[in-house]
Amino acid sequence: MGQLPLGARVSTAVAARPALGRDLRALLAELMKLEHITGGLVVAPDGLVIAADLPREVEAEPLSALAATLGRELELRGPQLRRGTFPMAQFASVSGTAFLGSTPVGFIVLLGEPQADNDAVRTALRAAVGTVYRAWAR
Amino acid sequence: MVFARIWHRLGGRRRRPPTSAQMFRQAQRLRDEGRFEDAAELVADALIREPGSVVGHLLAGSLHMTLRESGQARTSFERVLALEATQPRALLGLARLALEDGEAKTCRDLLSRALARYPDFPEARALLDVARDLAPSADPKRAATPVLVPPAIPVATAARMPAVTTAPTPAATQAPAAKSATLADRLRLPTESREALFMRPDATLVFAEPRGPRTEAVAARAVKLARIATAVLARSGFGPLRHAVIEGAAETTYLRTDDAALLTLAFDRDVTAATAVSHLERVWGSCRSELA
Repeated sequence: MGQLPLGARVSTAVAARPALGRDLRALLAELMKLEHITGGLVVAPDGLVIAADLPREVEAEPLSALAATLGRELELRGPQLRRGTFPMAQFASVSGTAFLGSTPVGFIVLLGEPQADNDAVRTALRAAVGTVYRAWAR
Repeated sequence: MVFARIWHRLGGRRRRPPTSAQMFRQAQRLRDEGRFEDAAELVADALIREPGSVVGHLLAGSLHMTLRESGQARTSFERVLALEATQPRALLGLARLALEDGEAKTCRDLLSRALARYPDFPEARALLDVARDLAPSADPKRAATPVLVPPAIPVATAARMPAVTTAPTPAATQAPAAKSATLADRLRLPTESREALFMRPDATLVFAEPRGPRTEAVAARAVKLARIATAVLARSGFGPLRHAVIEGAAETTYLRTDDAALLTLAFDRDVTAATAVSHLERVWGSCRSELA
């Protein structure tokens, strides 16, 4: 038994170019301004956190691992779908909703209270996903 | 002239080939900038110079996962484990790939190995909770293969609703299509619905319309998706999954679930959310009444 090697720990902030859609932390900060959104993160498909703004009681590392797994599961639902080919999904419980959008660099996750306007959040997330797609297109 | 000579020497020094460690660092920078293909190329070059680099193979695995190249990612992580048998990120990477492939047991084994060595590994623990919850019948790979023994269905339910299984019950064998049609009538499935699936939490199908050779696998994948989503919600401080909306390229899937059942209805993208949700709630009510 032992401590995880230093390199095995998740880096909480990966530097991104400060261009439109490339600064994922700024993008997340914009999405966090939506009403009744309490947390969010951007996670790479390998589960590493790119940016996170979560309530104190929510641990970023396990959530990022699960969010990436969920994102990949959604991408793999259709055999013809591959890289970043589903726009988004929302998963609701009685106490809150998780919104997930897929981009070439990873998945954007937003956490919302039950009062959150699902349509408004989806519209904003769709726009953010589109911005990332355009910014990271080769 | 003297300045030019000094500049030339400095330039000459700069042109010295970088070490593999420098190349890995540069690849990490490229990765952080989102230049994944460039990073992967650089890592591949560096690994030719230093084929025994754990860092290099780990970075390669991570990049392949980011590029959604699962097979190559698996190879990279396996190389890491050949060099360092308990490398936690490689074990986690392979476990995630196993879960993607529907190999829940392999996933559990890999995560258990990681946690035996590093008990404080929150990502591995979170994923293990999901893999542990996945019943064998919720494994899409198994579901795609015909089974010999039908899953156990409570008598009361079997009498009212024919379970759609690859090895049907004798009653279902007699006229499954007719019974299914009757049930479809009772449930009043919306005409706009492209696909309707109603199943138990262990992915046992109760009803499917239409039913095809891949229906069981689709149902198993829906259950697996619901399990992972429930884990995401739990880690976010929320309760268990009740509703989901999944937008695909051609259709949108609406999901309704509780502890005892799961219903999915797929609609074309042009069906409004309000209409779809209204259909979903009505059919869900009918399904739950039938199951009661």
